[in-house]
Amino acid sequence: MTTQPLAQPKKKKTVWHTIAAQKELIIMSVPLLLYKILFSYVPVVGWTMAFQNYKPAVRSFWKQEWVGFDNFVKLFVGLNGERFLRDLRNTLGQSFLTIVLGYIGSISLALLLNEVKNIKFKKVVQNITYMPHFLSWVIVAGLVSTMLAIPTSGGIINDVLIRLGLIKEPIMFLSEPKYFWWIVACSNLWKEMGWNTIIYLAAMTAIDPTLYEAAVIDGANRYQKMWHITLPGIKSTIVVLLIMNVGHILEAGFEIQYFLGNGLVVEMAEIIDIFVLRYGIQMGNYSLATAAGIFKTVVSIILISMANFIAGRLGEEKLV
Amino acid sequence: MKKFVSLLLVMLLVLTMAACQPASKDTTQGNETTTPTKGATDENKGGNEQKTGLPVLSPDNPVTISVWTTTNSSAPADDNKLTKLLKERLGVTINYEIIPTDNADQKIGVLLAGGEYADLMGTTDLNIRLITGGALIPLDDYLTEDKANLLFEHVRPYWNRLATDAGDGEKHIYVLPNYNRFYGEIVGGTHYGASGFWIQKHVLEDAGYPNVDNMTLERYFELIENYARKYPTIDGMPTIGFEILCAPGREWVLTNPPQYIAGHPNNGGVIVDENNVASIFADKDIAKRYYKYLNQMNAKGLVDKESFTQTNDQYLSKLATGRVLGMYDQRWAFGQAYDALVAEGKYERTWVSTMPVYEGCTPYYADREVMNINQGYGISVSCKNPDVVVSFLNTMMSEEWQKIFNWGIEGEDYLVDENGRYYRTPEMREQQKDLVWRSKNRLEALYDNMPKYQGTYSDGNADGPGNQPEEFFESLSDYDKNFLTSYGKKTWRDFLNQPPDNPVYYPCWNIHLPDGSEAQMASQQLTDISIQYLPKIIMADPSEFENLWAQYVNEIKKVNIKAYEDAINAGIQERIMNWGGGR
Amino acid sequence: MSEKNRKKVDIENIVFTTLNTIYLIFLCVVMVYPMVNTLAVSFNDPLDTVRGGIYIWPRKFTLYNYYVVFNMDSIYKAFYISVTKTIVIVITNLFFTSMLAYTISRKEYIFRRFITVVFVLTMYFNAGLIPNYLLIKNLGMINTFRVYWIPHIVSAFNLIVMRTYIRTIPESLIESAKIDGAREFRIYWQIVLPLIIPCLATIALFVAVGSWNSWFDTFLYNSGKQELSTLQYELQKLLASTMTAGTRGAPAGVTEAGRAGTGSSNVTTPQSLRAAITIFTAVPILLVYPFLQRYFIHGLAIGSVKE
Repeated sequence: MTTQPLAQPKKKKTVWHTIAAQKELIIMSVPLLLYKILFSYVPVVGWTMAFQNYKPAVRSFWKQEWVGFDNFVKLFVGLNGERFLRDLRNTLGQSFLTIVLGYIGSISLALLLNEVKNIKFKKVVQNITYMPHFLSWVIVAGLVSTMLAIPTSGGIINDVLIRLGLIKEPIMFLSEPKYFWWIVACSNLWKEMGWNTIIYLAAMTAIDPTLYEAAVIDGANRYQKMWHITLPGIKSTIVVLLIMNVGHILEAGFEIQYFLGNGLVVEMAEIIDIFVLRYGIQMGNYSLATAAGIFKTVVSIILISMANFIAGRLGEEKLV
Repeated sequence: MKKFVSLLLVMLLVLTMAACQPASKDTTQGNETTTPTKGATDENKGGNEQKTGLPVLSPDNPVTISVWTTTNSSAPADDNKLTKLLKERLGVTINYEIIPTDNADQKIGVLLAGGEYADLMGTTDLNIRLITGGALIPLDDYLTEDKANLLFEHVRPYWNRLATDAGDGEKHIYVLPNYNRFYGEIVGGTHYGASGFWIQKHVLEDAGYPNVDNMTLERYFELIENYARKYPTIDGMPTIGFEILCAPGREWVLTNPPQYIAGHPNNGGVIVDENNVASIFADKDIAKRYYKYLNQMNAKGLVDKESFTQTNDQYLSKLATGRVLGMYDQRWAFGQAYDALVAEGKYERTWVSTMPVYEGCTPYYADREVMNINQGYGISVSCKNPDVVVSFLNTMMSEEWQKIFNWGIEGEDYLVDENGRYYRTPEMREQQKDLVWRSKNRLEALYDNMPKYQGTYSDGNADGPGNQPEEFFESLSDYDKNFLTSYGKKTWRDFLNQPPDNPVYYPCWNIHLPDGSEAQMASQQLTDISIQYLPKIIMADPSEFENLWAQYVNEIKKVNIKAYEDAINAGIQERIMNWGGGR
Repeated sequence: MSEKNRKKVDIENIVFTTLNTIYLIFLCVVMVYPMVNTLAVSFNDPLDTVRGGIYIWPRKFTLYNYYVVFNMDSIYKAFYISVTKTIVIVITNLFFTSMLAYTISRKEYIFRRFITVVFVLTMYFNAGLIPNYLLIKNLGMINTFRVYWIPHIVSAFNLIVMRTYIRTIPESLIESAKIDGAREFRIYWQIVLPLIIPCLATIALFVAVGSWNSWFDTFLYNSGKQELSTLQYELQKLLASTMTAGTRGAPAGVTEAGRAGTGSSNVTTPQSLRAAITIFTAVPILLVYPFLQRYFIHGLAIGSVKE
């Protein structure tokens, strides 16, 4: 009876003590926290429009017509529902492939660049490989579409395959649903591989050079050094980026599917964002677009919590 | 920790309220400014103008007008010739806010939520969100004989069809139509709105200029097939018999043709019968016949294998190589490819339109160009001095200013011959194509949404050089002159039918389906199903056709077609009831 | 190591280096192609480009596409605004993000987890166009320069990347500074900041590129004020002026531009102008990376610690 009331104020006191002791850290961080709450969380009031038949002209979130879960029903039920689920599958599939290929591509490129001794060559390679990042998707999609065309339309890939004798008839890459996910993933790899390498190269600068020296003395070869020093050195960056990307799995891009998708492959091509564009934004239906946005957020947060938890269990760097 | 969270929540709440407070204030302010202008405009007027009529614009009394406009035209250069002229003659300075058409939807949404606008709002939004959102003032009080007389004349015959209900149950004119309100005779040689099954001129020349009247799908493809057999390659590249495009925004190239072939004009997704009842045709026999025919032609290798996978750029580049014998399209949409061929002097590789129909049907490919309703300039509720803005628009509607916008300045941009006919020298014509020159010498961004004097001026000259018959003949190549002579025709327009008077309700594609409505959703679903199934149906082996078609029809059945048709029919009836007559 | 072993290592080295070099050169060829192609298209006659078949060299040379870009009066001011805004964003973002990253890298900091969660979540939701617009409007930031940088002073992604990097700094270093009586801000400013220069350089690049390429904030918030327009938005509008509008098979009104009849060297197309615009905007930002590369020195951070 007597210990409990005593314990509580004591605990409180320690919290306040800690806060007092950490006031410098608090002064450095809390204003920025409030700033973020203002700019990112306050507008979330607008999510009410997912439960309304929102008309911008009414000019207040509270005076709109409330429709309950109608917008979610529109998304998940009936003809739209079939499409939404199909698009959800495509989004997940394309994202997954893109993430996997992207990780393998950019991490291996970072490792290989790290082995280049000639500084000038290394810089040139870096500067060239990150260039495609600066091209808009319209241009890249146009190039991809041309490269995958039949030879008489400039389809260089079919041309090469035919010359090598691997195929007789040109492959219609863009009219076969089975290729589409790979086309999306490879286009992303092409455009972003060099760019994504930068962050790993930066992470590698934090690796203590004496570790390599010690490893050489121990007789480690090149691959052992890569495996036991370089990779572990950037592991925390890899894991943290991976967790963050898992949360973005419902963002499979937009433009590439928009420009390259067509009736013949739509089964595998259409993703959620295109659906939302057609049925939400282009129709002035903000409510539906918001409902889809809320759904995506919920999925993201579930996935990211799971990834974070798993990372913690495996003893890896956690995001939070 | 918990305490801190609750503290934060309180702060969040306070911030939220703080953020929302001004918003609600805005609403009331918005209403206050709206109400007086809606009913009694006259009480509001200041004393510095005549009792009747409008303030006179003059350099002594300079005014600045802010213009928000949805247009793809680029902003004028700083030293623009006509900007200077507006300033010198009328004392008017224009501040532009130009919104490219692709982004207009998003901008309109936030503008309405914000509730502040420029003086003059140029909109092309078919969903009339600015009107229903209360952004524009009714112009009725200004549109009279003794006020904005020229604007009044512009809308007078069409008053009833232009008057729109903004949601308050009353009909007013909010927007002055920007295109296709015609005055005098309609002239012009090229007709960029032309729709048809285009065929390469050399195909016709090679076949000895066969009669292209009474065209059928069979004859159209026979011509193409014969030519493709005779010339399997053109300039070393394989000949393409028939090209189809289905890129984003151009899906109608695939979906529109059946209505034409069945002798109907372009009503979008529906055909309208003699009782003025609209129904979709995507799953009907007229569509089936067309796609079945394409399926057979594909089996013969006449349809480009890449039709459905190509982008718009790739489509244009195929056309521009001169090896495409035919396609369905509208003239403006493949202008670049046409121009590229002309630039190389390959006139024989360009196309003329033909109008295949099913037997017993009369071609109705060409229609009377339809006036743009609710597209154009309106005056916003934020405008402090609507009188001045109306006066400005009225002045711009005069033949004098219309000629300046279209033809330019006499002596600099065009000349007048002894008969009073306007013409341009080749150099003058050439410089008009230069984007940079145009930004210095024309005011396209302002003019695009302005009411226009289309047709012929009172002196008999055409509205602009593009429609002046002499200008058209001057620019024809020898090949084309010869080609036209062989067919006994004078212009490309002559290859199309003489458009009859449009039915009152025409066209259905601009019937407004409310945002987020069932009908709007059904319309989109229908398009999406067509895009998904038709390419497969056309590309399939002919033995699979029936099966795939059945699947397609079945899929359409799942859509709430009735909601869509009902909305269109309601629109048609509404138009029949209310659209007749003017003021 | 024996003589034999050394030889084996040497041969292996040569093989690896050769294969690696070949692979990287191959990659360069594949990666440089889109840019080279864009460059070739930008210098090729627009109507000729419509015919296709431009790969790495222009077929019919012209400077007209660039002439159009450089003759646009508004781009000079817009260029200045874009550069200014990018510099301001980079400086403010680096300062605030790294400061916050330092605080949440401190394991003992009581709000560490809370702040991290609040920021991480913002990566996964978006309130939507209209609510964001209303917030900016209510803060009085429509048609101001502030709207370009104030909403971007801390971003969650950069925060996490920086925190992860800061954690690689040996704890002992910070501990000893504390024992010497240094305050948190001084530790951050004098000890941590110099050690994370490679990371700062990376984030600077990300932020600069993001800011340079963005046009949507200009469109949404500042389209009503020409003096504050940015390069990307002006070019976006220029590009739109070469496109023909029209959907549902109905021309919204074909302008004189669309009526340009006969072939001419003074005509441009969206495809060609887009290429010129891409080159024009990419070149300034591409020059940033080589400059930052000098900070990507291996072990820069830890090396200084050991001394």
